[in-house]
Amino acid sequence: MIQSIPEAMSLILTFEGLLVLTFGTMMGIVLGALPGIGSTVAVAMILPFTLTMSQAPAILLLLAIYAGSVYGGSISAILINTPGTPQSAATCLDGYPMAQRGEAGKALGWATMASVIGGLTSAVVLVFAAPQLAAFALNFGPIETFALILLGLTCIVSVSEGSLIKGLIAGFIGIFLSTVGGDPITGEARFTFGQFQLIAGFNLLAVVIGVFALSEVLTRAAALRDDGTQLVGFNGIVLPKLHEWKGRIKGLVKSVLIGNGIGVLPGTGAATAAFISYAEARRSAPTRENFGKGEPDGLIASEAANNSVTGGAMVPTLALGIPGDAITAVMLATLTLHGVTPGVRLMTENPVLMAAIFSGFFVINLMLLPLGMLVSRMAAPILRIKEAYMLVMISLLCTVGVFFVRRNPFDLLVMAGAGIFGFILRRQSYPMAPLVIGMVLGPTLEISLRQGLIITDGSFSAFFVGHPIAAVLVIAAAGMLSLPLIRALRTRKSA
Amino acid sequence: MSSLITERRVISMIILLLTVGLVVSTFGLQFADLGGAFSPMFFPRIILIILMGLAVLNVVVDVISTPSKTPIQLGPVLMIAAAFVAYVLVLVPLGYFISSVGVGIVILLALGVRNPLQIIAIPVVGAGSLVLLFNHVLKMPLPVSPFVWWL
Repeated sequence: MIQSIPEAMSLILTFEGLLVLTFGTMMGIVLGALPGIGSTVAVAMILPFTLTMSQAPAILLLLAIYAGSVYGGSISAILINTPGTPQSAATCLDGYPMAQRGEAGKALGWATMASVIGGLTSAVVLVFAAPQLAAFALNFGPIETFALILLGLTCIVSVSEGSLIKGLIAGFIGIFLSTVGGDPITGEARFTFGQFQLIAGFNLLAVVIGVFALSEVLTRAAALRDDGTQLVGFNGIVLPKLHEWKGRIKGLVKSVLIGNGIGVLPGTGAATAAFISYAEARRSAPTRENFGKGEPDGLIASEAANNSVTGGAMVPTLALGIPGDAITAVMLATLTLHGVTPGVRLMTENPVLMAAIFSGFFVINLMLLPLGMLVSRMAAPILRIKEAYMLVMISLLCTVGVFFVRRNPFDLLVMAGAGIFGFILRRQSYPMAPLVIGMVLGPTLEISLRQGLIITDGSFSAFFVGHPIAAVLVIAAAGMLSLPLIRALRTRKSA
Repeated sequence: MSSLITERRVISMIILLLTVGLVVSTFGLQFADLGGAFSPMFFPRIILIILMGLAVLNVVVDVISTPSKTPIQLGPVLMIAAAFVAYVLVLVPLGYFISSVGVGIVILLALGVRNPLQIIAIPVVGAGSLVLLFNHVLKMPLPVSPFVWWL
């Protein structure tokens, strides 16, 4: 695949390729900066624009939106103390105090540099780790795939904020929804209740847009937030000088390692990485007493870690077809829409596309520096836009996105239903990421389990005899599931 | 009595009842009897039974725990939800522009915008620019109006 990089670069370094990357990164930064949109909704909203594009530019555009939006979240975190994306929540802690004392440009300068360095290292991790993991997955039959998906599903535990039971319920609802429609083995219709439109199943994107974007509109309408956004003075990004980095490199390296390490683990995500990195920097930095009062080390820790996650999170998605969180689940769905099936065959059968994704990801992160400087000045006034106007635009774009996938009016109804259903569940603290992960992984889980049972003559115990990889994966899944229990027991003991 | 019936407990009960209903329905559906893993109901039944167990646990937890109330502005939510369902139903027969302007106006009104110029201008500009982009620039037509060809 490395040999295909020159060919891939020739695809990227064309007028169209560079235009796609520039536009995508700029759009990603702007959408990421708008509070409430977030990376998942940003990618879903841009998806219809890619349907007329060929595979490589379409996927690169979505990658650019993803990477750009993670960085863009820091703009509103610093300028209005509201994280544009959950990943930037830790950035508020030191970014906004810096902005309040008149150093908004400098704060965004530190955030930009840390994001670029974090993003570039994650691109390297993606290039080297994804093919290795995919090559290892060559040994996988249906039984190993079942065990792997089971392990992937345990990430529901880590994305279930608040209640584990509610997270698991959302995950199982997602898996159940994936079973609606034609049976993958016999073709018979299941749970269609006489509705012929349901034979093809629920459209994943309609459900994703409904439960994330539309339910967000309803959630905001229910809360009716104050629109009085106060912008601090900002006259453009001021990059840190070389001597100002003195004493901060060690912390930067640590944050990058934390971000990359967490990124490849399914289910942890950029927000977790940013907070772990921030906590570690606060524990170990010589400037720890200044944390929370506008300390650049805090900003570096948060931004380097959250951008380091982006490439890492794509590793299991591209190599194994297992999304680690909601955003990679949407990315996986969009890859499928463009006729790309992630996994080992993608690496061997379409090396140019893979090389284009890897090289494009590197270029996107390089572009974050100049584009971040340019777009942050333009994005700052956008933050003053009334929330009501933004909600109208989100609603209209959601409809366009879902309509273009299959041009099926039934999908629009599914989106509206999913939006209302998502709103009701979110109000009761049911997380939505497990529902999407369940819906994405459900079909593979079902087919691998049933194929495995057919191979072993219905013996589930035979799954693990002579299948050491599957046994290890299932033990790891059990370990992941029992982690919250162990943690709860420890907390009770220490109390 | 009213403190016993909370929004959270009602939702948990609805989830449980729906799951029980679905589990029961898996036994009533008629399929070619291939048995075991070949059966179309084999996998959904496992998932629904686990879901039912989780739903029971969830009801127990929600009954034991102290209910917390999240304030809600029900009016705007109901208005937007109803408008959106109506919107997706009329989108194809009325065309994207007309239906989008309609739903945009309802959303703005529901969110408390009272300036008539803003109420009209925002949906018209928003929907109009999307129609212009998709129908006339990208040539990926959104549903068109039965009244005028260019909208």
